[in-house]
Formats: sequence, C-alpha cells, structure tokens
Amino acid sequence: MLIEFTLNHKPVTVDAPPDITLLTLLRDYLGLTGTKDGCSVGECGACAVIMDGRLVNSCLVLAPQAAGREVITIEGIHAADGGPNDMQENFIAYGAVQCGICIPGMVMAGEALLLHNPYPTRSEIREALAGNLCRCTGYQQIVDAIEATAKGRQGNR
Amino acid sequence: MTELTYIGKPARRVDALEKVMGKAKYIADRKLPGMLHARCLRSDIPHGRIVKLDVAPALAVPGVRAVITSDDFFEHGLYGFPVKDKYMLAYQKVRYVGEAIAAVAADTPEAAQAGVAAIVCELEPLPGVFDVAHALDPDAPQVGPDRPDGQHPNFLDNLIVRKGDPLAEWEKCPFRLEEHYSVVHQEHAYIEPEGALAVPTREGGVVVYAPNQSPFVNHGNLALVLNLPHNLVRVIQPPVGGSFGGKDDLVYETSAQVAKLALITGRPVRMIFGREESMIASYKRDAMRMHVWLGADRDGTLRACKFAGLLDSGAYASESPFTGWRASIHAMGAYRYDACHVDITCVYTNNGYCGAFRGFGNTEVCAAIEQAIDELAYQVGMDPLDFRLQNCLRVGDETPHGQVLTESVGLTECLQTVRRLSNWDRKRRDYAHQTGEIRRGIGVAALFHGTSLGAEGRDYAGCTISVQPDYSLDLTSGLTDYGTGSRTVFTLIAAEELGVRPERIHMQRPDTDTAIESGPTVASRSTMLGGNATRIAAMNLRQTLDYAAADLLGCDLHQLIRDGEAYVGPSEEPVSWEEVVRHARAMGLVLSAQGRWTAPRIHWDHHAGRGVPYMAYHFAAQVAEVEVDMRTGRVQVIGIWAAHDPGRVIFPQGAYGQLYGGIAQGLGYALMEQITYVNGYLQETNFESYLIPTAVDVPEIVGTFVEAPFSHGPYGAKNIAEPAMVPTAPAILNAIYHATGRRIRDLPANLERVLLGHDLAKDGSPRACKVGLRI
Repeated sequence: MLIEFTLNHKPVTVDAPPDITLLTLLRDYLGLTGTKDGCSVGECGACAVIMDGRLVNSCLVLAPQAAGREVITIEGIHAADGGPNDMQENFIAYGAVQCGICIPGMVMAGEALLLHNPYPTRSEIREALAGNLCRCTGYQQIVDAIEATAKGRQGNR
Repeated sequence: MTELTYIGKPARRVDALEKVMGKAKYIADRKLPGMLHARCLRSDIPHGRIVKLDVAPALAVPGVRAVITSDDFFEHGLYGFPVKDKYMLAYQKVRYVGEAIAAVAADTPEAAQAGVAAIVCELEPLPGVFDVAHALDPDAPQVGPDRPDGQHPNFLDNLIVRKGDPLAEWEKCPFRLEEHYSVVHQEHAYIEPEGALAVPTREGGVVVYAPNQSPFVNHGNLALVLNLPHNLVRVIQPPVGGSFGGKDDLVYETSAQVAKLALITGRPVRMIFGREESMIASYKRDAMRMHVWLGADRDGTLRACKFAGLLDSGAYASESPFTGWRASIHAMGAYRYDACHVDITCVYTNNGYCGAFRGFGNTEVCAAIEQAIDELAYQVGMDPLDFRLQNCLRVGDETPHGQVLTESVGLTECLQTVRRLSNWDRKRRDYAHQTGEIRRGIGVAALFHGTSLGAEGRDYAGCTISVQPDYSLDLTSGLTDYGTGSRTVFTLIAAEELGVRPERIHMQRPDTDTAIESGPTVASRSTMLGGNATRIAAMNLRQTLDYAAADLLGCDLHQLIRDGEAYVGPSEEPVSWEEVVRHARAMGLVLSAQGRWTAPRIHWDHHAGRGVPYMAYHFAAQVAEVEVDMRTGRVQVIGIWAAHDPGRVIFPQGAYGQLYGGIAQGLGYALMEQITYVNGYLQETNFESYLIPTAVDVPEIVGTFVEAPFSHGPYGAKNIAEPAMVPTAPAILNAIYHATGRRIRDLPANLERVLLGHDLAKDGSPRACKVGLRI
C-alpha cells in the first residue's frame, strides 16, 4: 500500500506492506538506519522517534499508522548547516556517548521533552528518559547534556 | 612531571559525532547488494543427542541458498580457549537451550526462517544437570567433554589461594562469621544484539565485519575452522553497540557461520539477532554459590578467611577457568590476613553457558566478601568503614597471595573520601534507630581489582602510527573500543607524545589486515597495554620528526623546543609541523612507526596458590544510600558516592562515564537483574521480564578519582572499566541491612527477598524460550 506522511519536514510516499512497523519502514524501506532496533517490543527506546510532537517507539507503530502524520527521526535532527544541533553538541561535550546505540533514541527523547517542557528539572529529565534504556553510561552525562541544552535554549528565548 | 597538554584534560570522544547524528553504521545498518540473510536452527532442549539432521528439505525452500552444519567446518568447528570444548555448530550433542545446530542463508529473512523450519532435526533428550550442587555427583549426567585424567567430566577447574591454615586460626578467633551467599547469572544486555556480515573475496577468502571484542581472536578461530591461511581471512570492526564482556564466543560463532555461508554461496551473508534470540543463545555472567568463614580479634583485626565458591559455567567452559581464577584472587577482599584459603570450583551444567562479563569473577565474590566483612564489623561492634580502614591493604603490605605492594595503593584514601563525601558518620547515626514505613540506610564496600590479564596469559599490545599525505596521522590498535573510549585515550596519548592536536589523528577501528595483534580486548587492559604501545609508537615517530626538525633548523636535538605543533630552534623562526614533515620526506625518512609493550613478567603458581597474580591493582570504595519501603520491599537507591584509584586519569569524561555506567550495572545486579533457568530454560527473554536500571532507578552519582600513579602505566594510568561496577552491589546490600536489619545474602535483592526474607515460589516453563526461538 502507499503510505504518505511527513518525514523530517519533507513529504514522502512509500509503497510498503501494511503489516510492517514504522521502524521497519524507516530502516528497510527508507534507508534511515539512525533509528535502532534493540528489542522490537517497545521496552528499550532505541527506536524512538517523534510523531506529531510525541515520543513514540517506532517498533510499536504500524507503518500505515504513520499516514498523514509528521515523523521526525534522528536524521531530521541537526543544525542548519547539517552539523550537530545544540542537543547533539551537548551530548558530545558532556560525554553522554559511549557505545552510542541508544543515543539516537536518547536525543529524540530529549528533544521531545523540551518540546513540552522547556524548563525541566533533573528528575523530570530522568522521568522523560525512563523509556530509553542505556547500558553504558548510567544516564548521568545524558541528563547533564539535556539539562545544559534546556538551559541554553532558555537563554535564547 | 612536566605539564601535560592533553592527558587528563577535557576532550571530545573521537566517535561521538557520528553517533549523535545517527550516522554510525553498526552491523545491522550495513547492507550490501546481493546480500543473503542467515538464521540458525537452535536447540529447544537443554541436553540431547542429535540423532538425525537432514538439511535437504531446507535447500528445497524457495530462496534458500545454502545450509551448513558442523560437518562444514574443519574438525566440526571445534574451538575455545582455554578449553576447546565448543563447536561453531553443535556436533553430535546439544548442551543448552539456544545452542546453534545448523545455519541457513537465504534471499530474505523470511526465507531463511522457512529454511530453518524445514530442517529435519531429531534430538533425543538426555537427562540434564540443572543444580550446580549436584554437577559432580558420581551419577550426574555427563555435560562436559570426556576427561582422560579420571576427573569427573563435569569438573572444569579448581582455582586456589593458600596462606597458612585459616580454619585453625578461625577456631581461635573471638569473633567468627560463617555464612552462605549466592549470585545469579547476569545478562550483558547490550542494547545492540549480536550479528556479523561476511563478504567472500575473489581470492577465495572472506572479510568478516563483526561487532566482536577481540577481532584477532575471531581471526584465528575463522582461519582454524574454515581451514584457510591467515592471509585469506580478514576481520574488520564496525562500531559495537555495547559488549561488557559479552561479544566474544557467540559473535565468533556467528562470524564463522556467515563466513562459511558466504564462501559456499559466493555472496555476502549477514546474520542479525533479535533480542529473544540474543538472550537465549548468548552466554551470561556465571552464577556462584559461596561459603565464607571470617575471623577477627577482639580489637577488630582480621585474622582468617576461608572462601569456597562453586561456579556454574553452564554447558561450556568459555572463559570460566579465567573467571574462576580472577574470582579466587579477589575472593578475600582487599585485606590483610594471617591465614587465607580460597577454592573456586567451576563445573559444567545445562544452564545456558557462562563467559566473560565486566568484573569477571570479582563482581561475584565481592558481593559476598564485602557483605561478610560488614557482618563481621557489626559483630565486633565497629563502624563498618572503620573496620575496613583498620584492615585494608596499604603500601608495604603483603597480600594473602604473597605479593608485597610497593606502590599505587589508594584504598585508604578512597575510603576516607567516600566517608567525607557521603556524610557517612552523620547518616550512620541518623539512620540507626528507625521504625517508620520508609527507612533509609547507608552502606559501604571496598574493592581491589587486578589490572589487565595478570598471570592469566602473555600480556602485550601493539600499535602503528603513520603520517598521511594530507599531514594527518593514522593510528591503529589491535584492541577494540566497544564504547569504552579507548580510541580517544589512544588519540590523546599519541597527541601528547607527538605534540600535535588530537584532531590531526585518525584513530582507526581494528582491522586484522592493518592493525597489530594485541591480545584480547578484555580485563580493562586497553588503557595500560594499548596506551603504552601507543606511547611507544608515537615516541618512535617523534624521534624521526625531531631529527628532521633539527636538520631543518640547523641545530642539535636537545636545542629543539615546541610551540604548539611548531618546532623552534635556538636562532630560527618557528617551523610548522607540516614543514618538518615535508623536510623529513625530502630526507627520505620513513614516517611511520610501531610500538609494542609487554607487561612486566609476573608469576602465579596454580598448584601452590601463591605468587604475584597482577602487576598492579585498582582500589576503590563506594557508599550507597537507600530508601526502603517496608510495606512493599521496594528499594530506591538515592545516592552513590564512589572514590576510585585508576592511577592517572587520561580521558576524564570517559573515565567518569565508565564509572557511572559501571555503577548502574552494579545497581541492577544488586536489585533487579534476575536470570532464571528452570530445567535449563531461560525465563527472561526480553526487557519486559529482564529488567535493567532506567534513568529513574539510577541516582545522581558523586564520583571522584584518587589518582595513585602506577610506574608502569602510561603517565601512571591503571584501569577503570571493570572495577567501576564491582563494589556497587555489596554497598547497596549493606545499606539495605542498615535500613532494615535484614541481610539479603542471595542476589538480587528483589521485593520479596527484602520484604519477606525469601523468594516466592514461581513457576517456570519452556514457553518463553520456545516462542523466543521462533521470533
């Protein structure tokens, strides 16, 4: 079937079977491999994307459910020049990255949080990350990076 | 020491940018034209004889291109180190649920799955060994290989430490403890499941992309089981999505399977695991049952320790003889004793199989001994932190193994530091007499952890460095950065030695065609071994460049000084690094170098249980503060204070990341990570049942480094990755005791153990495995 939606601010139309997930659509049909498959059951958050402003596990969304929606993946997160945006820059600067497999999902979780809550406390940041598993970092430097990004964006308001 | 420019200063991880942009290509992100998809048939019984294995029906499935069994490998694919007891695909028998029996390559994943389903495989079930305590019964079913030496075939190894006669000493002690402790298996839970991609070459060889820990081990295994000369096998390391000890054996097997399928079909072949397959098929941290005797004098001086551990290696040896050895060396904790005996016995069972996992034996024994030390401190009537300070190892002490510690022992300072940072004394008083439903407690654990391989094996690493046409530098190592930050550590060391900016250096991922074999990437050895090798390679290259600079500037070598990257002579203007390189080229000099470093020779006598097990030790102390809900048994860790002595810190941001991440794994080990084998069937096959800590489970951590430099380490560095997790679990368990008055001697301290003091009877079934192997 034809699935039409907005992907990273551009309209796309994909011909795909109706019984695949949004994760499979992104990775196997659109070649966007920044979104990762860690568990396929919605527990790890490695596949998190933003759909209509909300963080969702793309492994739990059927591809046709994306029709007419606005989907943002890690490939849609960057600065105007294509380099890292402030969130990504802070992930680097605060040492939030180790093996990196969870990081696209973590960046999406941070962006989704700041869409709704520009002034999060550290414990609110932790709550917002609770659906994203990281086995390397113990989360502390990820929280640091998102906190610094929130503060930076507050300063620019 | 002269002022350093890059070592110990803020730096950016060399691979962070591609990872935050989502551009890093992990194994599952790599596709090639014409690539086939592979899948394994895996055993759904824990122990059985393969009575029939017919792959012809699978070959008839549309889209299936090849099917292999153990017959397709040299000597049926027998491999393993230190014990050769496993096959790349099961041969004659299966010994655990999830063991691979055959592998199919097909045009699509669906066709591969259909091919697996079409294989005719008849397994005759055999009685299994599921209770480690009965593995060595005379009538126990045989799990391990035949033993020509008359030992029980389920006996794998016994690792000992011997000093004096501890039970005789113990009898004389006024304060005595004798207790049992246990730890269960732990899953590595890397967020990237296993996989491998093989590409056949025109020459009849194969290139394998594998997220493995030790590409040269993989390389050696591949050459062996494919019966190919080494030059026809090449292993290239893609980014690795976490490992923690877990991407050794199983990834080597996967590599061999896809490599053979690629050689047969002449096409690229990739196998990617789903989470259930990963959980069921992969090896775990060993489970261990431990029996501890401790004795102390009236003044709180430790006198005697006897420690007996029974290690469940599961169906295969994997690294268990080494895990058991490291466990034996560390089982008594970082203390002085008049007498000490340790016995760690490793046995085969049909409970999955066990191999390397961060801490590698020390995580297991530390959970026991640091609780036992705590219990004895209470008996003596001493503050547990004071008790540790009174007995812990210091410079000049002789360890129970017979090793005199001459330098780099920061334990006393670590203990004093966590005491201060955590407000230990005030909280111990404040929490001493609580009666409410929510109670707080604070506990401590101390640690020593031997650096690198120790007497396990030859300990060396190599590195290459070369100047490229664009004046950048290529740096290689045979050691893998699977998230640890070692590529950044090596980059900073090379930049420091050469006097160039780190941005000029491209630290390559390992490729067995270009890097130098450096032993396995295990045991937190990268910084010391790979760091020293890098330092030597960079010093060698710098000698050449200095020589060219002196020639260019018309001065002696000793007259050269550096201004940033530029060279300055006594009477000349500064010349840029590029000008020096150009001059060196004009002189015909070779602008590449190698470095190799071998650790100082040490010796361990396995029969006497005496010697020098490690060249140096990492020391640490951690304090945990918990809040326990007495109505539910729920434990929330509300603070961790960690003081570690990793020697000189080279990449601080990375070292803190290792510390925080290790603590999170230790927290999971203490409270929630439960692997359950019921009659050999794993019950937890995905993250909905196997819980690992989330961002709300891990508290804000206060970490600090007590840098006691080690003379043989690069700039005085030792290690950090493994020891970061080891003391966390016992610190939390000791805090739970402080809060509740209840000792949880069997990990993890789940709700029912904290609330009721025992487990609730739970049913188990083969269902999760049987379903999981079909997903």
